[in-house]
Amino acid sequence: MTESDSANSEITVLLVDDNPQNLKVLYETLKDKGYRLLIANEGEKALDLAHRHHPEVILLDIMMPEMDGYEVCQRLKANPETADCAVVFLSALDDLQAKVKGFSLGGADYISKPFQSLEVIARVKTHAQVIRLERQLQARNRELQSDQTRILNSISEGIYGLDERGNIEFVNPAAALIVRSSVDELIGRNFFELHFPDASEAADLPVHATCQQGVAENQRNIPMSRADGTSFPAEYRATPKLDNEELHGAVVVFRDITADLENEAALEEAQALVQEQRDQLAHTSRLTTMGEMAAGFAHEVNQPLTAITNYARVAKRIMSKQDAPDITLLGETMDKIEAQSHRASEIIRRIRRFVKKPATGKEVLSVPALLEDTRQFAEVDMRNNEGGIELLLPESLPDVMADPVQVQQVALNLIRNALEATRSADVAEPVKVSASLDGAGTVRVQVRDHGVGLPPDAEDNLFLPFYTTKSDGMGIGLATCRSLIQAQGGDIGFDRPEDGGACFYFTLPVAGEGTGSAAADGAR
Amino acid sequence: MTDIQQTVYVVEDDEAVRDSLELLLKSDGKSVETFENATAFLKEYSDKMAGCIVLDIRMPGMDGMELQKKLNDKHSILPIIFVTGHGDVPMAVDAMKEGAVDFIQKPYREEALLEKIEAALAQDREQRKSLDEKQEIIRRIKTLTPREHEIMDRMIAGQANKVIAIELEISQRTVEIHRSRVMHKMGTHSLAHLVRMVLSVKDLIDAR
Repeated sequence: MTESDSANSEITVLLVDDNPQNLKVLYETLKDKGYRLLIANEGEKALDLAHRHHPEVILLDIMMPEMDGYEVCQRLKANPETADCAVVFLSALDDLQAKVKGFSLGGADYISKPFQSLEVIARVKTHAQVIRLERQLQARNRELQSDQTRILNSISEGIYGLDERGNIEFVNPAAALIVRSSVDELIGRNFFELHFPDASEAADLPVHATCQQGVAENQRNIPMSRADGTSFPAEYRATPKLDNEELHGAVVVFRDITADLENEAALEEAQALVQEQRDQLAHTSRLTTMGEMAAGFAHEVNQPLTAITNYARVAKRIMSKQDAPDITLLGETMDKIEAQSHRASEIIRRIRRFVKKPATGKEVLSVPALLEDTRQFAEVDMRNNEGGIELLLPESLPDVMADPVQVQQVALNLIRNALEATRSADVAEPVKVSASLDGAGTVRVQVRDHGVGLPPDAEDNLFLPFYTTKSDGMGIGLATCRSLIQAQGGDIGFDRPEDGGACFYFTLPVAGEGTGSAAADGAR
Repeated sequence: MTDIQQTVYVVEDDEAVRDSLELLLKSDGKSVETFENATAFLKEYSDKMAGCIVLDIRMPGMDGMELQKKLNDKHSILPIIFVTGHGDVPMAVDAMKEGAVDFIQKPYREEALLEKIEAALAQDREQRKSLDEKQEIIRRIKTLTPREHEIMDRMIAGQANKVIAIELEISQRTVEIHRSRVMHKMGTHSLAHLVRMVLSVKDLIDAR
């Protein structure tokens, strides 16, 4: 190419004339001016030299035998390799027609014979400079273009340039690699037909809106067909190609996200496993709690059963009075039996709901209703405990978003601990359970007792697994509570009230508010 | 001696159990009084109460065991049937050691409960009868004059009239008159019966 020529700043001038005398004059005029001079005395030779040496300027005689100057000029301009040279026509034909024809064929200038040497020198100098600058500019452009190409080539994402109908105008190598084709084969093909051959409705096609309406798109996990008929999940961004607000198609940047999806699936699987283990642990913990409360529950169920047995006997007695069975009394007794069997099944229902294996998932929950239910639950334990449980609930409290079984498990755990601490301290003060709206879009539930209080190392250890202050404890209760509350997007902790006992609390995000604001802050 | 009215005193915190038990016992012809907790019963308690107590062992506030101790302190002789839940057997054993007549596990069969109640009532009758008898003996003993009492003691000790007369320096005839008055006042003709009667109340007399 011509880079080396222009770098030498040596300018080549080709002189073409069939008249040796003229050539001599021109040669004499331009020698010693720092130009490399080439000479041709006919058209063919001139074309050959131009081809080989890429002269900046060609002084071309029009009137020549065989091939005249016009034809030489035409052929020079027709060949991209020589098209950029400046053709200056030389002719005695000093008429307007000849000049116009010369310019129309791509001539740069015109010098009339007989020529003045100063004029020749000046014009050659001017054109030589123009061409040199132009060539430098073009070289620079090529450099820039190759830079851009290198960039486009090195991007690992596929890039398509599409026209408004989706025909592929540009492809980078990565795109060809992803779709298992080559750049050359892809150019000119239709993006939609190639990658979405099965689509029925054109308007629904990815990128279609970008090409036709100029709407940017960004989609993930879109199945895209490859050239070989296989397909892959793609993520793409389509940006409209605008030129002065006029839509010229779209640029599509895409990639194959098969590996991403596999990673995500693996991550989800790992998370699911963690979740499953947490549920399992929570379930185990619930079963343990139920085991500890079994005697209480047996008693709780035995009460209505005992009453039912008694009532049934009474009913039989009434019926056995053959002379005049008291039907009214019999009806009342039956009603009582029914009420007691409802009572028994309600207790069983509550137990079953509590030990239900997979947690039911988050739902919109009323905290007061849940706490009331939990209080009744905990009272099973309370028959041997003095003091009892006191619920302190505000007039209105927003609902929270949480798993009812898991929240109840936490509340029950804290209440039972409080009852036990109260009993150990042999005090009559009831356990106070309260709920309030926190500033941070959370509902705070607090369980306060006046029991034996907490050991000095509680801050460091209380929520750790297998840490327990109870002689028969396993130490999974509070650790499980923390894990459960954090899974709800809440927080759990405790305070040491100045007047003794302990105060445990947990928070739950208010339903409908951003979950991020209530994110767990395990630092307490 | 007149038959006194026996009542089954039910102390039970659970309203349905209390109500159903009351109906059941009444339909069996029993006199029933119910109390919703131990404190309420203790407030009503008097040693005039006859019958038995059906007492729930687990109750909020004062539980059945505590009530039993308080009644023991008051020398109550009312037999107690403890009603226990599942897993309360150790408690029931303790209760038995404190003098409960029996215990029954919830939920119970009516026959079993009534049987135990009947047994308790019978025991109460026995105890009450023997207590009545003893009190009658004491009452009779109290009608004796000091001289008669002295002579009775010697009779029981097996002294013959002659010996009593010599030791007390009275005539044998006077001893015979006292003796016949003692037998009359104590309502018996047999010395052996007199001995048995006096020995049966010996502990009560000594306690005074």
